[in-house]
Amino acid sequence: MKTEVTRRQLLKASTSLGLGAAVASLIPPRIARAATALKAESGQPVFFRGWQYRTDIVQDNVERYDKALNGKIDYATVTGDYPSLMEKSLIAKAELDILYANPSQAVRYYEGGWIMPVNDLAIGQEAMAAMYPHIRDAWSHKGKLLGLSYFVTTRGIIHVNLDKWNKAGFSDADFPKTWPELYAAIYKLRDKGEKQPYLPHWFNEWYGISWAFAFEVMNRGGQVADPETHKPLLTVDGPAGAVLADWKKLWKDGFIPEEVLSYNEAAYTDAFRSGRYVFSPQQAYDLKQFNLPDKSPQLAGKIAFLPYQGQSWGLIDSAIYMMTSRPRPAAATEDVKRFASWYGYKDENGEISVGNRWMKESMLFSAYKEVMEGPLAAETIRAALVRPTDYEKLLDVYAHTPYPKGIWNVVWAEEYNAWVKAKLFDFLLKDLDAKDVITQANDKIAALNKKYKIA
Amino acid sequence: MSDVSAIRTARARPMTEMSNLRFALVVALPVLVFLILVVVYPLVYALWMSVENIQFFGGYQTEFVGLDNYRDVLRDKEFWHSAWISIRFTVESVALTLVIAVALALLLNRPMRGRGLVRSLLILPWAMSPYGTGIIFFYLVRGQTGIGTAIAAAFGSADTINFLNRDLVIEVLAVGNAWNMAPLVAFFLLANMTTIPRRLYDLAAIDQMSALEQFRHVTFPPLRFTLFVFTCITTVMSLKMFDYVYTFTRGGPGDASAVLTYQLYKVSFQDLNLGYGAAMSFFLLALILGSTLLLYLAWGRREVS
Repeated sequence: MKTEVTRRQLLKASTSLGLGAAVASLIPPRIARAATALKAESGQPVFFRGWQYRTDIVQDNVERYDKALNGKIDYATVTGDYPSLMEKSLIAKAELDILYANPSQAVRYYEGGWIMPVNDLAIGQEAMAAMYPHIRDAWSHKGKLLGLSYFVTTRGIIHVNLDKWNKAGFSDADFPKTWPELYAAIYKLRDKGEKQPYLPHWFNEWYGISWAFAFEVMNRGGQVADPETHKPLLTVDGPAGAVLADWKKLWKDGFIPEEVLSYNEAAYTDAFRSGRYVFSPQQAYDLKQFNLPDKSPQLAGKIAFLPYQGQSWGLIDSAIYMMTSRPRPAAATEDVKRFASWYGYKDENGEISVGNRWMKESMLFSAYKEVMEGPLAAETIRAALVRPTDYEKLLDVYAHTPYPKGIWNVVWAEEYNAWVKAKLFDFLLKDLDAKDVITQANDKIAALNKKYKIA
Repeated sequence: MSDVSAIRTARARPMTEMSNLRFALVVALPVLVFLILVVVYPLVYALWMSVENIQFFGGYQTEFVGLDNYRDVLRDKEFWHSAWISIRFTVESVALTLVIAVALALLLNRPMRGRGLVRSLLILPWAMSPYGTGIIFFYLVRGQTGIGTAIAAAFGSADTINFLNRDLVIEVLAVGNAWNMAPLVAFFLLANMTTIPRRLYDLAAIDQMSALEQFRHVTFPPLRFTLFVFTCITTVMSLKMFDYVYTFTRGGPGDASAVLTYQLYKVSFQDLNLGYGAAMSFFLLALILGSTLLLYLAWGRREVS
């Protein structure tokens, strides 16, 4: 067999090698290292599950990882009662490696022993340092960071249909500053002929009416439970009593269509999208959707929000990517960590590409300073607002939004949430006494603390 | 007989001598094993759970509590409320299903142009999953997108007409359920109707019976057994219906449509109170068995005899 190499072949091979080395030298060593560190190696699938939101974007992100870094990501969505379904999957040690979770679920999953914290990741310390401290604290439990940033937003910021508001003879100067002022404005609007001035956040999701109660109590300066001890703090003559009194008055005065109590979130946003309402507590990121002509033809260009004028609005709603600790081969676990690092933090180019994409496409805020303080965020947020000058006002509302640590960063969070949701529906529909509801809510929290041996 | 001769006799017995009983047992064995796996095992497991208090947090642990869970269920106001809602939903669903099914079967039994196409179209609702039916009806009856608002808008009104309220929600649920189930019942009734001899209708005409009398004395009697069977089936299906209720109303507004299956789901999967939920599920089982037994005693026994 002939094995000799001709001079021409030698020259060709040398040139190719030289060119290859030159190209390789152009890639910064940091990126090359990152790509190697993030590349999937086990050949095992990574099971990635989440709720249904912009699945097109998620699928596209996953495909990018698969293609670039040899991944085998099995992505699917979960329909229905997400917290309960995921909890059952975790208990059953089902095929589930990475999942979306709200902080209220995250603590429970961690307490169940089903979660691998971010501290176990190679990029753990770096990712933690890259986050805003208050968000990092919200997502931490017993000294562990429970997940990486999916999104952060203000839920319950009051959206205003400027068209209707102005037609009723009001201007920005008349914007309500507090919840009592908002409810007073609703009555004034009805006097001016508006049939449905207000769509409340009382819908039938786990984050519907129960979260509405939590944020309104906090916005008025109260707390449902102590952030550290989790002891109940509701009082009849405090913010909770005032919230329930106002709710009952609105309900009895016929402002609220009963069907709201059966809505899922899609129905709730659709209802506001119909253009019938003047005010509604919504998600901050939906300002973008409501002001886009192709998404909301009846609202586009008309939706602003109530600014911060001494009282906060809504609560910090957020979600994280969590990694499960289910039994699986060590190599598969390493791949789970790699994908979580790539998806929840930085890609092979050292960029927070998924976080930036969520900002660009859906105006989802991030826990990472790099995303929020970059030019993309400013450009996206300004473009989504009716008046670009509202940019600073939106960030101001966001900066003052409270986080309900007392009822979320505790193992019983979802149990209490389901209970209070049912109780608040009963309060309205069965005309329960506000004092009884508050007493029972405090008793429920105390009973849950006792059940889980929380001092 | 000595051991040796017994062995010889056994060896001499041909293989074909397997008794009918033994043969039947051998044939039925795979089915029995399957039944034990899919019915008996979960049932026994549920029974075990119903006498335990099961904890997942702070380490998985169980504690035997005897019949406490059953006692607590009986003291639970929400259980009784849900049981009543389930019964109301079931009675209304069954009545509507049967009435619509009989009407559809009578309609389809008449000679008409394009009967094949009409039959194909009418069976379609049955092909819809309860999950999908719930979503469709949710959009159909709510004020924002519903049929009531659309009709009002056609007449120039800007009002929203909402059927999802606590006074009507069970009736609306029953209508959707009947829409889903009636076509199947109608086709079985239609099959029954096609077996009725034509000459009976001729005789009825000679006797100058009215349409109502003809239905009562000629058409209805052969349908009675089918109606009984489907009354039982729709009763059981309505009592154990969950996905349809979940996607349609989620038990709301408030707990106005929280049927027993929904309550079970809440207790077992939201509160993670599996022992209590298992105990409640046996009350649902008792309700299903009790209602079908009642139907048999009140109606079925006569039909069978």
